[in-house]
This record gives sequence, structure tokens and C-alpha cells, in this order.
Amino acid sequence: MALALFIFAIAVVMVGYKYYAKAMDQTVIEANPKRATPAVMYNDGVDFMPASASVLFGYQFKSIAALGPIVGPIVGVQYGWLPAVAWLLIGVFFIGWVQDYASAMLAMRNEGMTMGGLAYKFISPRARKLLLTFLYIYLLLIMGAFGALIAPLLAKPNVPVGFLLLVAAGVLAGQMTYRWRMDIGLTTIITVLLAFIGIYLGTMPWAQNLVGAINSLAGDPETGVLFTRPLGYGDMTWANFFWAIVMLAFCYLGSVLPIWRFAQPVNYTSFWFVLFSLVASVLGLVVATFTGAVNTSFEIPAFVTAFQPHLGPIWPLLFVTISCGAISGWHSLVSTAGTARQLEKETDALPVAGGAMFTEAVLGVLSVIFAVTIGVAAGKYDPAQGYKLVAGAAGVFAVGMAKFMAVIGVPEQLGGSIAMIFLVVMALTVMQLVLRFMRVASAELLGDRFPAFKNPHFGTLVAVLLTLFLVVFGFWQWIWALFGGSNQLFAGISLLLISIWLARQGKPSSWSYIPGLFMYITTVGALLYVSVYNALYKGIYLTVQSGEAKTGFILGNLITAGFGLYMTYAALTLLADGLRSFNEAKASAPAAAGD
Amino acid sequence: MTPQESFWSRAKKHITDFIYGMASHEMARHALKTRGSMEHLFILITMGDMLGVPILPPYYSLRLLPYVVPQISTWKRRMLREKDLTDALA
Repeated sequence: MALALFIFAIAVVMVGYKYYAKAMDQTVIEANPKRATPAVMYNDGVDFMPASASVLFGYQFKSIAALGPIVGPIVGVQYGWLPAVAWLLIGVFFIGWVQDYASAMLAMRNEGMTMGGLAYKFISPRARKLLLTFLYIYLLLIMGAFGALIAPLLAKPNVPVGFLLLVAAGVLAGQMTYRWRMDIGLTTIITVLLAFIGIYLGTMPWAQNLVGAINSLAGDPETGVLFTRPLGYGDMTWANFFWAIVMLAFCYLGSVLPIWRFAQPVNYTSFWFVLFSLVASVLGLVVATFTGAVNTSFEIPAFVTAFQPHLGPIWPLLFVTISCGAISGWHSLVSTAGTARQLEKETDALPVAGGAMFTEAVLGVLSVIFAVTIGVAAGKYDPAQGYKLVAGAAGVFAVGMAKFMAVIGVPEQLGGSIAMIFLVVMALTVMQLVLRFMRVASAELLGDRFPAFKNPHFGTLVAVLLTLFLVVFGFWQWIWALFGGSNQLFAGISLLLISIWLARQGKPSSWSYIPGLFMYITTVGALLYVSVYNALYKGIYLTVQSGEAKTGFILGNLITAGFGLYMTYAALTLLADGLRSFNEAKASAPAAAGD
Repeated sequence: MTPQESFWSRAKKHITDFIYGMASHEMARHALKTRGSMEHLFILITMGDMLGVPILPPYYSLRLLPYVVPQISTWKRRMLREKDLTDALA
């Protein structure tokens, strides 16, 4: 069953790519290999540099596929595997690739402009300002969602030592490459080997005892409560708190140190570790399917419920819970600011941007397969509670990965460590760069008014404290929903921009306009559900009615509502301006053609 | 070269490029960007006159001009292009 679903997913994306995407590329966008791209025309060796399609495919795929396509589907299968897979495949078929590909084309045909400039040009001046403030909140939610997910993983006794030794191997890679000028091949072999040895050492009893001792500093690691979360989302243990601080310290270093010294070489070494781990687990899945070594039949029903009490209704929550894999606004940022400035030929845009998106959908389906074959037996989903996810979403993937790697001979204990470090690495490599960008963003947005933000340490510290607030006080599944909401709103904005651009040229725009409207309505629905129904009504109104004195709980819900309502306001303002521009463009087309 | 060999050699190149794109392209690009930025900074100091920022006496600028000519148009464009935060993302 697992392999059948996997093959079906591949077939769907191939049909989507070969027939729908190619048809749009040739008939509507009319990609022309002879038209000079910004990378060729403005090759300045800094922002614009041409690169081959295969290289850019790797670059685009790596930039868009982080924890999103892994974690989203694991949470989404609480509604059943069929809705999750259906949204992944229908989403990528009609919406996901359209956004990734067309935003790259939009930027290429507009002198390599990025989202801020495009919003200014196609929507309105205030659209750019809104977009930039919205971007900061979006990045903060990425930090919160990823951080809250992996801080508990770092607290596991078999994870921190291996992870820290992997980081040390990464720092060594930077030293060997940039200071000692050693051959990159040799550097890679040495440091990746050291990283794997480090992960193995992390599973040794002495390493686990060491972590256990740290975790026990404030009482029992499992039951010793440091404080009760004021928002009412359970207790915070010392171990979770301590490792959350370590995680943010790592991100802090990634943000303030020179990029070649820390962030870049750590990401480089991590990449090889991630690649080998992923290849091993996929091999395990294939072998297990044929040998029956691991259960590959589905333990979660195709359809569970249309309303998961702790999440909300399937529409709109499923559509923001699963973002990457179906559609994600992050991709348009990568397509415009990164890929569009490097594409050598217009005809490369579809295989690079569209192709990477279709591939990511397959990764999302693989994640669903992990969840539904392994999750129930591993105690991660509780059938008695309507297949509610009762453990961390990351744990589901880690258990699945360890079991599939065990099929090809990797000891399950080592496989468990590898899988958890895999997730930690996937999140932290993104988080340290996001924090770096938040620091730049705060300096840019607030530096003139508050000069302290121009200091890299201050800007980073503020971002770290905001993240710590979300990680320590927030309820992960709600942060994930808000993150998904902001992500999908970005997608809606990108699709709106693409539609206006197409309409200005008198070209068919419904293939981006309708998906864009769908994303807008769905995302605003999800944000209102989270902020108004959950936070304001359930979290504040009902608490006040009951007469309980829960100041922290009320304050936390107020902050959640603030996030959601601001994003809704920003989205609706952008939509109003965008629709006005779209209608004007339609009315004046094709006279205004020529962009 | 037989068609089969050609297919395999092409496949090998695509796979190598793909892995390079995932693993190292960003690092290589960043190194090139750093070098490019330094060069542009140097041109700004020496040829600032062209953008209305006179820093170096024109005598020295003119002596350096022949070395800078190939980069002037892209340098000017980059210096004068309007940028915002989203430019710094990738």
C-alpha cells in the first residue's frame, strides 16, 4: 500500500509537470530560450550570476525543502491520510508549481525585482511596507514553530552530544576550507566522517549519562517542573528549557559570527549528513515494502474526521497545517530573490522552480507514509482519541526513519539518534539563517528610529527573546497553524502579483487568480479561527466568564490573537489594493503590455 | 561515443550538478558575492565621481579607469538600483 501510494504520487506529479505545467509554460508565459535573462543581462558578479539548470534545481530544492514538507503532513494526517495526500497532490498540481514557477518568471521579466519591489510596482507603495512588516512576523513564526518542535528533541539523552560534535565538525570544515585552504573533497570526507563518529559517540552510555546529569540538575528530567506555562499549555521541565536556551545560543552564533566561520560550513557538513540519512531511510522503505520487514500497511484510516477538536475544522485548518509540499509562500521569496537572478535561460524556470516544487510534494507524501505506517504502533497517534497526535510531530518522523534504516542494517538505537539529529539539523540550519535575516530586517526597519537595532548583537538578542517567548510559552500546534497561515498568505500575495502581471499583458490569468483567491479565503479563515474563535472567544471570553483568575493565560491568548489579527489586517489590505490593481490591469489590457 | 554512453555521461553530469547545487552552490555564490561586493566598493571609492560621490582626486581615477571599464555598467546599475529587505533573502 505504501509503495503504491508513493508510485501514485510520482505519477500525479509527472502528469502535472508534463501536461499542465508545460502547456502553461509554452502557451501562456511563452518562455523563450533566446530572450536574455537578468542573470545574463546584468551579470554583476554579486546579485546576478548565471548558473546551469541542474545546479539551480539542487539550489532551489534545498532552499525550499526544510521541515515543512516533513512536519506538516504528520500533523495533517490527524484528519485521515486521504485528505492529507489529496491536498498535497491537488495543491501542488493546481497551485504550488504555479506560484513557484510563475514568481520566478515574474521576477525575470521585471529585471530581477524581488517581492518588495514587485509589490510596490504592481500593487501599491503601502503594499511593500505591509509586506516587510509582515515578513518579520512570518520569520518570527518560523523560529517559534521550528524551535518549539526541536527543543524537546535536543533534550533527549542520545541527541545533544552527537549534535554538538556535528557542529564542531562543521566549524572545522570552515577552518579547513577558508583558513587552511584544503581541498574541498578531502575536507568533506574528513568532516562528514567526524560528524558520523560524533553521532555514534553521542549514543554511548557516558554521553547519555552526561546529558542525563545536566537534565537532572533541577530534579527529575521527566517530572521535575521548572514552571507551569502561563498560557495553560502544560508544564515546562528544566531539560526542555535548558536545551531551548542551547538551541537559541546556536542560532545566536549563526547570526552574529561571520557567515563563513559558522553558519555556512555547519550547513555544508549537515547537508551531507542529511543526504546520507535520507537515502538510507528511503532505501529501507523500498526494501521493507518487498520483504515485509516493517509494517507498510496503513494504520490510520483514509478519513478520520472533518473536525479535530484540538485543531479545528478540516477547512481551513488542514490547508494551512500542510503548506510546504502543497504550496508555500516561502518558495516565492526563494524564486524571486535567489533563482530568478541566476537562471541562464527562460526555459530553465519550469524544470528548476516547477520541478523542485513537484519533487517536494513527493517528499510530503513520503512523510504521510511514515506517519500512517509507523505512527500508531509507536504510540504517537491515539486511536482512542480519534487519532489525535499525542506526541511531538518530530518524534513520528524520527521513529519512522529509525525503523526504515534498521531494515538496511543501521542499529535502531543509532538510527533513532540519527533521525532526531536529522530533524534538529534540518530545523537549525534554517533557523540560524532566519535569525540572521531578522537581525538585518530589524536594523533596516527600526534602525533609524532606534539606533540600538543597528548593533548586530542587540538586534539578534531581541529576535532571540521573542523566539524564546514563543518556544517557552506557546502551544506548538497553534504556532504551527499561525506559521502555516502566514506562509500561505505569502503564497496568496504572490499569486495575486502574478495575476496582475498576467492581466496587464492581456494574458489568461485565471490559472493563478483562482488559486490565489482560494489561498486568501482559506488562510484568512484559518487565521480568524485561531485568533478570534480560539484565542479571543475560548481563551479570553470563556475564561473571564468562568471567573477564574488566569492573567497569564489571558495575556498569552491576547498575543496569539494579536498575531493573527495583524496578519489578517495586512492580508485584507493587500487584497483590497491588489484587486483594485488587478481590475485596472484587466480593464487596460493589452494596451499596457510590455512588462 | 555511443548514445548509451552519452546518456550515462549526461545523467552523471546532472546528478553531480544537482548535488553541487544542494551542497555547495550557496557557499560558492556567497564567496563570489563577497568578492564582487569588495570590487564594487573599490570602484565606488575610485570612480565615485560617476555617481556624484567624489572621493578620490580625478587624476588617480583617470589612471585607474582602463582597469575598471568592463565593470562600469553593471556596477552603476547595482549601485543605483532600488533595493529592499527582500533583496537580502537569497
